[in-house]
Amino acid sequence: MAKVLIVDDAAFMRMMLKNILQKGGHEVVGEAENGLMAIEKYRNLIPDFVTMDITMPVMEGIEAVKQIKVSDPNANIIMCSAMGQQSLIVQAIQAGAKDFIVKPFHEERVLESVRKVLGA
Amino acid sequence: MLHSVMESVRQVIPIPAVVQSPNVLEDTVIQRDIEVFVGFTGHAYGRIVIQGECKTFSKLGEFMYGMPLEGDILHSFVGELANMVAGNTSILISNKGITIDITPPTVMVEKLHLHGYERGISVPVQFENVGEINIILLLQNQGDG
Ligand SMILES: [Mg+2]
Repeated sequence: MAKVLIVDDAAFMRMMLKNILQKGGHEVVGEAENGLMAIEKYRNLIPDFVTMDITMPVMEGIEAVKQIKVSDPNANIIMCSAMGQQSLIVQAIQAGAKDFIVKPFHEERVLESVRKVLGA
Repeated sequence: MLHSVMESVRQVIPIPAVVQSPNVLEDTVIQRDIEVFVGFTGHAYGRIVIQGECKTFSKLGEFMYGMPLEGDILHSFVGELANMVAGNTSILISNKGITIDITPPTVMVEKLHLHGYERGISVPVQFENVGEINIILLLQNQGDG
């Protein structure tokens, strides 16, 4: 069981991800609705992994990945975005994300990504 | 671009649907139960709007995710639906060399007056056993507004 921080501006999507991750045996330790909140919560909660949306108000997800990586270079971050063009995936990976899931997604795709990123 | 938007709608909402012919939007007032806007900028500039009745969106949510939705979570679902349609549109058009970035969705439950767009096209889509929603593409010349 791993501790996860879910970052998405849509409460609906946070709920969906929470259901999937809990079913997969993970513990949701926190939720954030923008990049800035994500950075703060990451610092306090030190989760094992993060699901990170991109399009969010206040601060978008790729910027948040960069800042989280500065404070913790080992952070495990999975991008989870409705945008997924090649150039954006490259940007996210360069920022330090370890995987990229395009919405809408299947439950199995999410859990498979978590397994991959945690190296289990 | 409209073609990519409609292709994206089919990808995001996997429910059999009849797509009616597009209408040029003449009325500047949008009035349905609920509508959601996502702005896009870059090589193209404008907005994607999805509008419909709450009960239709609630059924859509039920078909897609197995649970009927209401209240705040329904509004959030409608916002995320538009985010997914716009996001997947951005992927489809990136294959044609067009790059856009999208804004977070704005969900509205009131009558709307639209101003300052160059062209508006509305496409009613009838989903089997669910109901009809309207997909609207508003295009502006870059640099306007
Ligand atoms: Mg979002």
